[in-house]
Amino acid sequence: MKRGITETLANESTARKASSITLEGVEKSFSREAIALDGVDLTIKAGEFFTLLGPSGCGKTTLLRILAGLDTPNAGVVSIGGVDVTAVPPHKRSVNTVFQSYALFPHLSVEDNIGFGLKMQGVDKAERTRRVREMAEFIKLSPLLSRRIHQLSGGQRQRIALARALVCEPDVLLLDEPLSALDAGLRGQLQVELQRIQRRLGMTFVFVTHDQQEAMVMSDRIAVLNDGKIQQLDTPRAVFERPANAFVARFMGHSNLLEIKRRGADRLDTAIGPLTLPADAEHMNDGDLVLIRPETIELGDDALGQPNRFDATVVESFYRGSHFEYRLQVEDVALTAFSSNQGQKLFAADDRVPISISPSDLMTVRGEGG
Amino acid sequence: MTSPSLKRSLACLWWVLMAFLYLPLAVVVLFSFNSINSSALFESFSLRWYERLWGNEQIMASLGHSLVLAIISSVTAVVIGTLMGYGLYRHRARRLGWLIVLIYLPIVMPDIVFGISNMTFFVRISSLTGWLSPGLGTMVLSHVTFQIPFVALIVYSRFVGLDATLFDAAKDLYASPFDRARHFIVPSIKPALVSAFFLSFTLSIDDFVISFFTAGPESSTLPIYIWGAIRKGVTPEINAIASLMIAAVAVAAVISLAFTRSKGSDASR
Repeated sequence: MKRGITETLANESTARKASSITLEGVEKSFSREAIALDGVDLTIKAGEFFTLLGPSGCGKTTLLRILAGLDTPNAGVVSIGGVDVTAVPPHKRSVNTVFQSYALFPHLSVEDNIGFGLKMQGVDKAERTRRVREMAEFIKLSPLLSRRIHQLSGGQRQRIALARALVCEPDVLLLDEPLSALDAGLRGQLQVELQRIQRRLGMTFVFVTHDQQEAMVMSDRIAVLNDGKIQQLDTPRAVFERPANAFVARFMGHSNLLEIKRRGADRLDTAIGPLTLPADAEHMNDGDLVLIRPETIELGDDALGQPNRFDATVVESFYRGSHFEYRLQVEDVALTAFSSNQGQKLFAADDRVPISISPSDLMTVRGEGG
Repeated sequence: MTSPSLKRSLACLWWVLMAFLYLPLAVVVLFSFNSINSSALFESFSLRWYERLWGNEQIMASLGHSLVLAIISSVTAVVIGTLMGYGLYRHRARRLGWLIVLIYLPIVMPDIVFGISNMTFFVRISSLTGWLSPGLGTMVLSHVTFQIPFVALIVYSRFVGLDATLFDAAKDLYASPFDRARHFIVPSIKPALVSAFFLSFTLSIDDFVISFFTAGPESSTLPIYIWGAIRKGVTPEINAIASLMIAAVAVAAVISLAFTRSKGSDASR
């Protein structure tokens, strides 16, 4: 007999079956102008929390729908668990989806919604009831089982949608921006909960979001998508700290990007002035961008006597509790700086402040062209 | 701002309109319970005209025809119209707006034109092949034809009110095409189906003109009987039939309306 989810949870050493996913040369266009996916190659490991991150229209939802079987690629091969499923219809794939709108059936009770997938798979009533109850217990929905969908709040619907997908124990769980309709507090709570569930079940999760913070918090690996292509595929830390190109850098929230106008032997010319190069600077070239992370900018007395020292004017300053946030102006360039709160003075607008950036904190990002 | 006197006269107008609409019906119902054969003087309450109806074989036969026609045509129209409504919904992205015009056409076409064209068509077919000679069969065909657009539009608007992702969710949750129809589509549009059935039923029971042109000698419905009977004058018997029809149509219309309304409650989020 198949092990129930709660049994699996009770015994965390038990590894559930999980499936890897491979995409090869997947292309999808809805018309000549609207190319959603432009040749995607991707391998998602079994048991991984994998996130597809990108702005709206980047193709992330199309990719998810292709995994679910709800859309068919124009070209390419999709394999799940080593089996080619490109032509397998959605109702024959061991893949379940948590939809953005939750897509709960209004004509069914909560219990029948959660049990829908099991019923369609031909699981008998007693077994179905047992598994639905078990899942409801696990996801803390038991008191709601007899309710109708329209009587529930957004957070409750979200949990039911999750329970309905999880109870089928699919090889892969797909989540299409499942938290985007919830308020910030609930979202944070469910992010943690989703991550916990994924770790404990060891199921392969493919999560779609446009929120880079959410992606970083939850994922084992992130694929950043734009214009139907994967821009970068790596761990959250690598994607944030070593963005592969200017698009990824901007999308991950980096704002301090300076174009390299000219590269000299040991220095770079940029809009704020010359910068001393880090020791391993051989890959910095004309037309690339230099990325300065706000938290690596030293301000005030700390900056004196350091290399890469500039005079900045404070445009705006914000007290954020654990750190201070500054909008600075150097020459004609706006920079953002964070300095962690260690009891030092908070500079005010129009203050002239010396700043410095350690050469080893400078990073290169390939320009938009590259 | 509306002045109090204007408000009063508007309220007055409302009651005048209501009286204009419902007084004639009320008179018909009242006189159906008259104990004497008069349409001017009400003597006392009696059920004699209803008893008389019961004994009149011709009336009972017409009532039977009316009911058989209404039920068969409504069921058929609900089945075909639902498929049509579903088709319109599934292909709504293809801009089939112009098709709606074709669907509306039978609704806006004058009954008499519709009736005559049907009759001509059936007569021609009948003279060529021997099929479709006037009778209950041809009446069912005509009724189904004019009921379909109403059903299709009710069902279509119900589909439009559903979250389109539900179709994806059903597929995602292992429902085969047949299971989707049985466990998702039909239950989701059930209020629309009930509503469409009773609306079709009402339209069919009501109809005189189209039935008149497509009926055969042995298939006259209640309205056709009444039309024949009133040439000899309005009898209290006619009042009784009319009252029963008012009751039947009102019940069907209320059921139809109740189910149209209920879509708001469970489709809402």
